[in-house]
Amino acid sequence: MTATSSANTSGKELHLNWKERVDVIRSNRWFLMAFPFAMLALIILIFGGATGGNFFRVSVLKGILSQAIIIGTCATGVSFIYSNGNLDISIGAVLGMGATLGVLAYNATNITPLLILVSVGVSLGLMAFNCTMSVVCHIKTITVAIVVTQIYSAITTLLIGGAGTIDIAYETSSMLEDGGFRYIAFFGYFILCLVVYHFTRIGRELRFLGGNETCAQQTGMSSGKATYVSFLMAGLGVGLAAVFSVIDVSAVSVETGSGLGMDVMLATVLGGMSIFGGSRSNAYAGLIGALTVAALNKGLLMVGVPSAFIQGIRGVIFLALVYMNSERRDLLPSRMQF
Amino acid sequence: MPEKGKVLVQVKDVCKNFGVTIALSHVDFVVKTGEIRGLIGENGSGKSTVSSIIAGMQPASSGEMAYKGKPWKPKDVLEAQAAGIGMIVQEAGTIANISVAENIFLGSYQKFRKGPIIDKKAMVTEARKALEKIGVTHINPALPARMYDMQERKLIEIAKCMYNNPELLIVDETTTALSQSGRDIIYRIMHEMADAGKAVMIISHDLNEMMEQCDTLTVLRDGVIIDNIDKADFDPDDIKQKMVGREIKGNYYRVDNDGYSDEVVLKADCITTMHSLLCFDLELHKQEILGIGGLSDCGMHTVGRALYGLEMVVDGEVRISDRNVVVKNAQVAFRNGMGYVSKNRDTESLELNASIYNNIASTGYDKNSTGPFINPFKERAYVDKQVRALMIKCQNAHQPVRALSGGNKQKVVFGKWCADDADILILDCPTRGVDIGVKAAMYQLIYDMKKQGKSIIMISEELPELMGMCDRLLIMRDGQISGEFFRKDGYDDRTLIEYMI
Repeated sequence: MTATSSANTSGKELHLNWKERVDVIRSNRWFLMAFPFAMLALIILIFGGATGGNFFRVSVLKGILSQAIIIGTCATGVSFIYSNGNLDISIGAVLGMGATLGVLAYNATNITPLLILVSVGVSLGLMAFNCTMSVVCHIKTITVAIVVTQIYSAITTLLIGGAGTIDIAYETSSMLEDGGFRYIAFFGYFILCLVVYHFTRIGRELRFLGGNETCAQQTGMSSGKATYVSFLMAGLGVGLAAVFSVIDVSAVSVETGSGLGMDVMLATVLGGMSIFGGSRSNAYAGLIGALTVAALNKGLLMVGVPSAFIQGIRGVIFLALVYMNSERRDLLPSRMQF
Repeated sequence: MPEKGKVLVQVKDVCKNFGVTIALSHVDFVVKTGEIRGLIGENGSGKSTVSSIIAGMQPASSGEMAYKGKPWKPKDVLEAQAAGIGMIVQEAGTIANISVAENIFLGSYQKFRKGPIIDKKAMVTEARKALEKIGVTHINPALPARMYDMQERKLIEIAKCMYNNPELLIVDETTTALSQSGRDIIYRIMHEMADAGKAVMIISHDLNEMMEQCDTLTVLRDGVIIDNIDKADFDPDDIKQKMVGREIKGNYYRVDNDGYSDEVVLKADCITTMHSLLCFDLELHKQEILGIGGLSDCGMHTVGRALYGLEMVVDGEVRISDRNVVVKNAQVAFRNGMGYVSKNRDTESLELNASIYNNIASTGYDKNSTGPFINPFKERAYVDKQVRALMIKCQNAHQPVRALSGGNKQKVVFGKWCADDADILILDCPTRGVDIGVKAAMYQLIYDMKKQGKSIIMISEELPELMGMCDRLLIMRDGQISGEFFRKDGYDDRTLIEYMI
């Protein structure tokens, strides 16, 4: 037996290989906060250069902002569901049905606030139903979402009828748009989410439950209550996004909300959040991610990438980000301890 | 005659860093055939790190290793297993929802393949043989691992490890999760291996156990090897001093006989659970440290869970007397001044990916709120107080808990409940896997809580700590209280053991 008693603990030096160096940077909380902003800046710079500055035209930026507000509102709301460790991909169908019923209510009465109230109310109700199926009937949220997506889409198609689209008066949508309704509603909702998420008990509980439900319950937290809050916060966001969608095109169609689920998921991970929930969750991820997704969509179109390819590119980016965000354990159960 | 004294593993100038934290600094040692080598040191001293590097769980940051005379750099656990190095880890190493047999052959299902189908029957038969090989016959390999308690699941891991006939067995802080019968199995295996010219490395905080079982002890402190001591030179006080770098007094339990109030604060009235307990009664008094001891499967862990509302009570009730509240679930318990430290630290008591800050803050959302909002200043003070008081070894409170050593993780668990200021605390194996320095600090903490008027239930498989700390001691057997003993009368370990078995 040989041994070296190198008791010189003060003169320790670091031996980091490149992988560990990357890990150190990756797990630095400031890096985690800055990364999504850097991604957004990078995309803007790349497309700004590639389009010879056309990307910075006011009309283009306005278009990006318009799309980002819809995705961002949904993503901000859905981040509550993700941070609680759940997944829901039915938001596109919920948005479609909320918007349809809102438009029908408005067209029947000509009362503008009814468009907003019904859209938001229906979205809240549908998300509450999804949540109840999960909390009371103990069905996984993703399973519920897959089933109800079909149901909600079918109902929306029936309500809209053969024409496939229902218009609303252009004056109404332009009045709402010009009156700044979208920006006021969006920022109001965003600030509400930020406050609930970071500065209230329930927001903290949501994240803790998403990280370790058993531990959270032993610390007096209620999983059912937190799940309801997360779905209702998401429902409010989806309802507002439904109104924004209607304002955007002065109509609702069977296509309203389709593809939104993917955009929202991509926005969430681009915003730096893990779709597996837990401590690495925040409320602004959705907004930053939405701006990035909208800029990416627009930029790719402007540089002439066919729209079919854009879907593929977004899918690859999504998978790469989820891969990078995952904490992969070794093949066998082990512990990392020193 | 097996060859002994030949170098089996050589560790040369090995360093390991986790971020900027240094876990190992230029470590050199060899393990020889026929040897049982103990690694001993405080939590965070690097014992588990060096052994997990040898076993292929993680790579070293720098340095070299040799195994059987050839360079050794395993890329994963499977490679190490195939080469004859097996390791039994401290925390749960089994997967709950697959069968015992599937756990035993995890990663090597290939040999049971018949075309595209896995022959489960053959796997179960082989698993039964693996269990019998270590002398365990009461575990059914066809059942899911979740059907078995922690001790039995440890035995499954041992069977898995021994099935591969390892040349080097690494036992990492496993014995504290086992009752005496489980420990005896491990000790027998260790000595059989040493006699057969193989080698064993064992990590444990139980100094007596280490001195009894090991041929040589390697003492680590802060990632550096301090000394190697042969059996002939074992001296407990000398070893303790080398471990912590300061003198440790032999006795760190309380020495008073202060007694407790007559006021009952928590009462279990004829509670029956789905498993283990049938019409079980218990009264906890104000300012009392009540110990519950027994063999691992005597039902004492279920008592702790049932009292805190984690185990369904099908008949009878648990009542918090002064508030006249029936504990129906953990939320009711928490909101009415109770706290619970689980035996399963990593899976139940901590959110490993969250920071130290968020883990400690989790018990204080109500206290640190103004209306519905959390006051960040109050919360910071709430957390900082505990990080300082418990001397948690960390860079800052925003470090994820998973990067801490076992003892420091347990300090975080204690920290969150100390901060919560709960009136009734249920501690299930509170010092499992922590070193004597941390243990002494925790005993002091428990005693301070008692002096502050709090009531504590301490469930433990270690009789010395129950005898050292408790005002009253209940010994359980088969879900029933088989004996009740009082500090004022003095405890006698032989009598206690008689009531346990």
